[in-house]
Amino acid sequence: MLRSTVFIPVLIVCTLFFSTSHGQTPDWEEITRKAGGQTVYFNGWGGSDPINDYIRWAADQVEERYQLHVRHVKVSDIGEVVSRIVAEKSAGRDQGGSVDLMWINGENFNTMKQNNLLQPPYSQLLPNIALVDTENKKSTLYDFTVPVDNMEVPWGMAQLVFLYDQALMDTHPRNMMELLMFAKEHPGRVAYPLPPNFHGTTFLKQALLELGAEKDPLFKPVSEADFEAVTAPLWNFLDQLHPYMWRRGTAFPANGSELKRLLADGEIFIAISFNPAEASNGIATGELPDSIRTYVHDSGTIGNSHFLAIPFNASAKEGALVFANFLLSPEAQARKSDPAVWGDPTVLAMDKLSPEDKALFTATPRGIATLSAEELGAVLLEPHPSWVEALEKSWLTRYSR
Amino acid sequence: MAGQSRSPLQFFPYLTLAAFLVPVLLGLAGTWLPALGYLPTIGAKSFTLQPWRDLLDHPSLPGALSATLVSGLSATLLSVFISLWITTHLYKTASWSYIERALAPLLAIPHAAFALGLSFLVAPSGWLIRLVSPWLSGFAHPPDWSITGDPLAISLTITMIFKEVPFLLLLTIAALNQLDVRRTLWVGRSLGFQEFKVWTRLIIPQLYPMLRLPVLTVLAYSLSVVDLALIIGPSLPPPFAVLIDRWFNDPDISMRLVGGAGATLLFLLITVFITIFLLAERIVVMLSRPLLTNGRRRSPLGRMNQGARLAAITTMAASVLSFVLLVIWSFTGSWRFPDAYPQSLSLFYWTKSLPLVAGPLATAALVGVLSACIALVLVLGCLENERSLPQSRIDALSRGSIWVIYLPLLIPQIGFLFGIQTILVRLHLEGSWFSLVWIHLVFVLPYIFLTLAATYRTYDQRYAQVAAILSGSPLRSFFRVKLVMLAKPILFSLAVGFAVSIAQYLPTLYVGAGRFSTITTETVSLAGGSDRRVIAVYALCQFLLPFLVYALAIGLPALLFRNRQLMKN
Repeated sequence: MLRSTVFIPVLIVCTLFFSTSHGQTPDWEEITRKAGGQTVYFNGWGGSDPINDYIRWAADQVEERYQLHVRHVKVSDIGEVVSRIVAEKSAGRDQGGSVDLMWINGENFNTMKQNNLLQPPYSQLLPNIALVDTENKKSTLYDFTVPVDNMEVPWGMAQLVFLYDQALMDTHPRNMMELLMFAKEHPGRVAYPLPPNFHGTTFLKQALLELGAEKDPLFKPVSEADFEAVTAPLWNFLDQLHPYMWRRGTAFPANGSELKRLLADGEIFIAISFNPAEASNGIATGELPDSIRTYVHDSGTIGNSHFLAIPFNASAKEGALVFANFLLSPEAQARKSDPAVWGDPTVLAMDKLSPEDKALFTATPRGIATLSAEELGAVLLEPHPSWVEALEKSWLTRYSR
Repeated sequence: MAGQSRSPLQFFPYLTLAAFLVPVLLGLAGTWLPALGYLPTIGAKSFTLQPWRDLLDHPSLPGALSATLVSGLSATLLSVFISLWITTHLYKTASWSYIERALAPLLAIPHAAFALGLSFLVAPSGWLIRLVSPWLSGFAHPPDWSITGDPLAISLTITMIFKEVPFLLLLTIAALNQLDVRRTLWVGRSLGFQEFKVWTRLIIPQLYPMLRLPVLTVLAYSLSVVDLALIIGPSLPPPFAVLIDRWFNDPDISMRLVGGAGATLLFLLITVFITIFLLAERIVVMLSRPLLTNGRRRSPLGRMNQGARLAAITTMAASVLSFVLLVIWSFTGSWRFPDAYPQSLSLFYWTKSLPLVAGPLATAALVGVLSACIALVLVLGCLENERSLPQSRIDALSRGSIWVIYLPLLIPQIGFLFGIQTILVRLHLEGSWFSLVWIHLVFVLPYIFLTLAATYRTYDQRYAQVAAILSGSPLRSFFRVKLVMLAKPILFSLAVGFAVSIAQYLPTLYVGAGRFSTITTETVSLAGGSDRRVIAVYALCQFLLPFLVYALAIGLPALLFRNRQLMKN
């Protein structure tokens, strides 16, 4: 008797538990089962050796755990991959596409979303998505102000930081006007990449956010704003800065990588990066001198997130989900945030992690040249994406002649 | 006999034409339709001239066009001038054998790797300045000089010259083998003409027609180069081809329409300049006719051996130093300005990368061998078939077919490939070995044709006739006598074709659908990064394949024919 009185409630509880969780767990199990044996073609920028190494490590892990094969397709510009997916769509290839997962954000995401080149919302399927810090890291929900709508999986955080060589400079600028003063005192030692390169455009947006009198119009479509009036302080600033820049503003580095190389070579004293741990990682790999340090401007700097996305016609959708889920796991995220590995900040919320998982992060060193969260200060939101094109166009009209 | 052997050969021109025309026409359609506003995928379904208006309104267009025209034209003219200068002054002198031997390894250095090495050599933070800093120059920090990426594209022009002079010299040597240079010089000298005068009056007029196509290839290449321009070219604005490339990868996909219009404009420009070159050639011929027969026997220009030697040495030294710097960087731990040598050395990137490059190397080698061999068979078939035609038709045919064969080199790759990609995807053929080898073939075939046709056409057919009579079989005569006698140029053209295949980045990317990673796709994607050490390791691995094949192409005939005195030339 006693046995059955205990047994029956237990049975009921068990049934209840399994029936409520039925909507979640078995689905994911099903996905994991289907993923086994699939080959995921992960397309992403392949210009960084440490990042390529990290992706290889992650691929080895899922191979071992899920018998999932991941091939890293290294490209020099993710735009090439968007082009390919466009070609696939125009050929009516609605399944069996060549790209299963891609590394993306910002304008490219906006393009893919608007042209229906992505899977219908899927990121809520990932068990690890619940760990993402959507409260403090708003950019995991809004990619350059465009709602993510579960069509991208947040992968890492980025914040604009400045790199400088401590051995060459006693103090560093704290805002754009001080940067201008530094450039005047040290002609030829400041550079930013050529817009429309991502880093170059970010520099313009940062300057506009700092110098502009009116900020509100920046977060609405540019068509609603008086572009000339809002951007006048930016052009005034650049007109003053360019004659004192590297090559007197007649040549610009192609991208963030070239900027970093110029810093390593001592051609410039100040560079920008979107990875707060870039300096520490560069020192760890020997690419940068160990006297390089990081700083941000007092009023804060632009921050955003980078994402993983599954195209509408992915061949190995389940495999892509499983790989994305692994990349989002505390284990993979903690390893990624190690400056000796890559140093890319996590998208996860520490208070949502188990103590063991949290320990993975606290055990990870911050790196000699990385700022703490407090030092990184306020994160400025990206302006509306329509500003990007307008700024680039105006910049080219003014300076590319 | 002739009728029997001719029939299968008849198909070769058609087969070759098909191998070309299909992708080329599809590619052109894929470029021209977007240029006229038609790209259904992005919702552009109406024909309009808007892309052209956007193109002409683009603020960077005038500067980009002038950078392209100035660098492309001056690189072509100077390369031709320098290579002829070197030839006329140094032919069969003591330096000549060094030049001949150095050409293959020089050509094997991939363009991008060369540009990376060279930019590290001459940049303000580069090796030359490090060597003299700070003890002589006083520079504690690199000077802010516009050496690489200068707005006038001078460094880009010089880089292209360094790469094109060896290419033109190679083809000059091949062409000179067809002319009886030794006897011409001998006759000229016995009439009291200075050697330089014999060259300019007797040899170059015979030589140039054989160099016409290579020169036009250099012209088309220089006007449409992307990879070199990205590394060492101006950035504000960049050369036109770089701008087009950027439009095709723009996050705003409607820019692909502007890209299509730009690619079409570049194609038109190249066509116009080729026409101008051909016209200019006639004018030069007309104007120089009285000079050729004025009977003057000496020229002050004939004594500029030192200048020619300097040009040859500079070209070679630039390549060798760039190469050496890549080797040093690949073993570097850290290397800061102004140190002339690395502070620390490391094997790290070699030990780490070698297992990773094995697969991409094998893929590249396989595609290279397949495309070069298929191209060779097609070219040999076409050239053999020519012999059965009357001379007048050969001239007409070779004039016509050459433009078809040259189309892939004249169309900017980026525009042409987007169209092909769409068609391949529709046919479910992208990402297959078949289409990858085919697209490589399209670019490899022109070069094989280019390096082989002249030599092949001047082969003394009487050898083959005698062999056919003796062996009783035209086939046996072809394989056992003609091919063997022509083994050297054939193997060399094969090596050139292989090297061209290895260098293909965009075709591999667009047609391979990410299914194939070759050593070049790996290297180019890393070259977009910042770490010189790992880029150097990959660039050297990329150099390895063409280098080995060139070495084989030169070494094999030398080894096989070591007992045949007359075949050593």
